[in-house]
Amino acid sequence: MERVEGSFEQSVMTASEIAAHLLGKCATLKYFDAYMFGSTLHGVGQDIDILIVGTDGTLLARLKKEILHAGEKLPLHVLYMLPSEEDHTQFVLKQKCIPLSELASLAV
Amino acid sequence: MNWQIRYALASFEEKGNSAAEHLGGDVIRVTTPHRPDVLAVITAADMVDHATAVRYLEETQGLDFLCGYRAHCAWDGMAILYLEENHVGWGNFGTLTSAALSGNANSAQHKVYKFSDRLLRQHDRIMKVEREFDRIHHITLRNGKAFRIGMIADYEPTADEVRSLWERFGPVDIVWNINPNGTPQPEATEAGVQLGCKVMKWNELRDHLNRA
Repeated sequence: MERVEGSFEQSVMTASEIAAHLLGKCATLKYFDAYMFGSTLHGVGQDIDILIVGTDGTLLARLKKEILHAGEKLPLHVLYMLPSEEDHTQFVLKQKCIPLSELASLAV
Repeated sequence: MNWQIRYALASFEEKGNSAAEHLGGDVIRVTTPHRPDVLAVITAADMVDHATAVRYLEETQGLDFLCGYRAHCAWDGMAILYLEENHVGWGNFGTLTSAALSGNANSAQHKVYKFSDRLLRQHDRIMKVEREFDRIHHITLRNGKAFRIGMIADYEPTADEVRSLWERFGPVDIVWNINPNGTPQPEATEAGVQLGCKVMKWNELRDHLNRA
């Protein structure tokens, strides 16, 4: 059995580190509103829930490729919403989503 | 240690109901008080196909459960059949944690789609159900009419989820929002119209099948 020093929770990325990683790897994110929500904000989640709000089209297709590449070794669960869908559902408010840029600013 | 094992071990540690240890490669052992130990593979595959399932079974003697760790991991119908015939449970990480607690890892199936799969199989107008993927079923009614149904489990399915299902798994006649508390967004319904499929909940699907 392989042994790892310390807690396994310490061996996975924090919410801030994930946010910084995504913003660094996905240049197209600047055209969208990007958030994190769910259990990763409070510790270790089995998935990392990300919300992307923006319009459909070429930029979205490019962003999906970037996120696929950036999330190669992360359990990302990405929800893509149109602005009108976010408006109907008030998803950001109800799920207490935090902007990735805000989280990334906390990364060491 | 690969990334999905790190996350799986960290998640077990966080939940605290079961303990897990890494045995090498993609294999872990899950230990739960008063329940049988579970030998599980945690795969990072995007799609578990028949060849992937066969390889893991051949490589892992005594395998109880095959877990697809990625949220978007999908399961090919042939892989599902093969695993079930060989008494190996299958599904996402949530299915594994529940199965370890219940002591039924060898017979567990992906809990997101389990109930919906059963609903189709128990519908008296449906003669035949072919499970192409975990979430894609081709059904044939007793009157000979056939439908290809794709399932979306999210609470509020979006236009992107409808389009992504279509792009990944091919055309469907019906997109079924299987979350009992779910409400498809108007944009999701409109995306279905543009693609040529209907987005519906169980009551609408049941009526649709009864009228077909």
